[in-house]
Amino acid sequence: MSHVWELEAAALGQIALAAVVLGAGLPALFALGIRASAWGRGGGAEAAAGGDHPPHPLGRVLSTAVFALVVLVALLGVGFIVASGYGKAVSFEDVYPTVVDK
Amino acid sequence: MTTATVILVLLVVVALAFDFTNGFHDTANAMATSIATGALKPKTAVLLSGVLNLVGAFLSVEVALTVTNAVVEIQNGDGTPVAGLTGDGGTALLVIVLAGLAGAIVWNLFTWLLSLPSSSTHALFGGLLGATVAGLGWGGVNWAGDGQKIDGLLPKVIVPALASPVIAILVAGLATWLVYRVTAGVAARFTDSGFRWGQIGSASLVSLAHGTNDAQKTMGVITLGLIATGHWTDTENIPFWVKAACALAIALGTYLGGWRIIRTLGKGLVEIAPPQGLSAESSSAAVILVSSHLGLPLSTTHVTTGSVLGTGLGRPGATVRWRVAGRMAVAWVITIPAAAVVGALLWGLAHLLGGGLVGAVVVVAVLAAAAGAMYRRSRTAPVHADNVNDDWHDGSSADAPSRTAVSA
Repeated sequence: MSHVWELEAAALGQIALAAVVLGAGLPALFALGIRASAWGRGGGAEAAAGGDHPPHPLGRVLSTAVFALVVLVALLGVGFIVASGYGKAVSFEDVYPTVVDK
Repeated sequence: MTTATVILVLLVVVALAFDFTNGFHDTANAMATSIATGALKPKTAVLLSGVLNLVGAFLSVEVALTVTNAVVEIQNGDGTPVAGLTGDGGTALLVIVLAGLAGAIVWNLFTWLLSLPSSSTHALFGGLLGATVAGLGWGGVNWAGDGQKIDGLLPKVIVPALASPVIAILVAGLATWLVYRVTAGVAARFTDSGFRWGQIGSASLVSLAHGTNDAQKTMGVITLGLIATGHWTDTENIPFWVKAACALAIALGTYLGGWRIIRTLGKGLVEIAPPQGLSAESSSAAVILVSSHLGLPLSTTHVTTGSVLGTGLGRPGATVRWRVAGRMAVAWVITIPAAAVVGALLWGLAHLLGGGLVGAVVVVAVLAAAAGAMYRRSRTAPVHADNVNDDWHDGSSADAPSRTAVSA
């Protein structure tokens, strides 16, 4: 196998892995937010709980936190698009994201 | 005005026309699922996508000058045209690129007429490939680069095209399965409104990424023409008017909306519910952004179509219309060769007519005639904002809406 195909396989593998984490992880997280929000709202929102249960404040707190996280990651995505347009990249070296030169 | 300058003007017009078809061919990628589930009204969806494509195109300041290098060898590494094509005011290069673009447009319109999503990037590369082979022989093809990095037709275009739908199906399938697992038991009226919001967000991200990825290809092609004719020398930047014109062309195309393709992707392939729409668009956005970040950008069309298919497979009991999927797969496989054949024929035609101004004018005339004929053909069964979501009947052909259509 020549060098270029090794590079190719590595790149595709990385893409698949990162895409699974982000592309499947985020919708799952979003779904979790919806579930928590239904729990927080109470009533008939969550049919499995017997169709009627009292609203739970923790559900609201949880759903807000989860949705905020999802929005944050989506904004990071936008930041990434904008940064790469200007020849920059988003780096996670300091844990929190910073914009650096490519 | 010299002959080369007149051909350059034709090339700019044809390149912008390609950019426009690129826009309306790909509206479906971002918006088909949101339109199908009713998350957005059809007209609102295309407006949002058009605006985001415009913004995205302006954000792509990264120089895309070497875009043709991925498949053919008509440019040096720094973006300047190769010596030997710049004689006679650059006419030889202009005619190759013009024929290539015309081939790409013909294929884009043809697949649109058949209501099939197909990659505009593949059409562009195919057209350029055909025109280059006709003009310079097989030696003009960049098959696999120099073997040191991912470059050339096979590693950069063909293999990713085969891999991208597989990755997208996997990611979207998993996402859909997880989403349905997590929200099992929550009342549908409650989940659907939430998921519709998620759909709008993820579809917007796809639109923005599309603007940054696709508009710059046309920008690179136009700037190549300008350099070949001596109207531009800077290989680090592109003229502002080129960027503005390309951004507008792709945004207008997106806003026009390729309704036929939106219908196929939103209604034809899989019956999409809001949770599936969210899963499909999130998966698309993730794969597109991650792949361009890692330097191997995957075709938006292949990724989104794969995602929609994956979301049908990930939900137990969902309807997947394999006949439609099969037609799409065929279109994908033949896009590069088909666009190449048209590009090569058009280059041959221009060459027969002397390879200069007359040839270029005739190529544009043939393109206009073909486009007009296909547009007229499309009017016999128009698809538009008002019938895009009509029920899909398997017995009818994929491009015929079920009810009598009124003209848009």
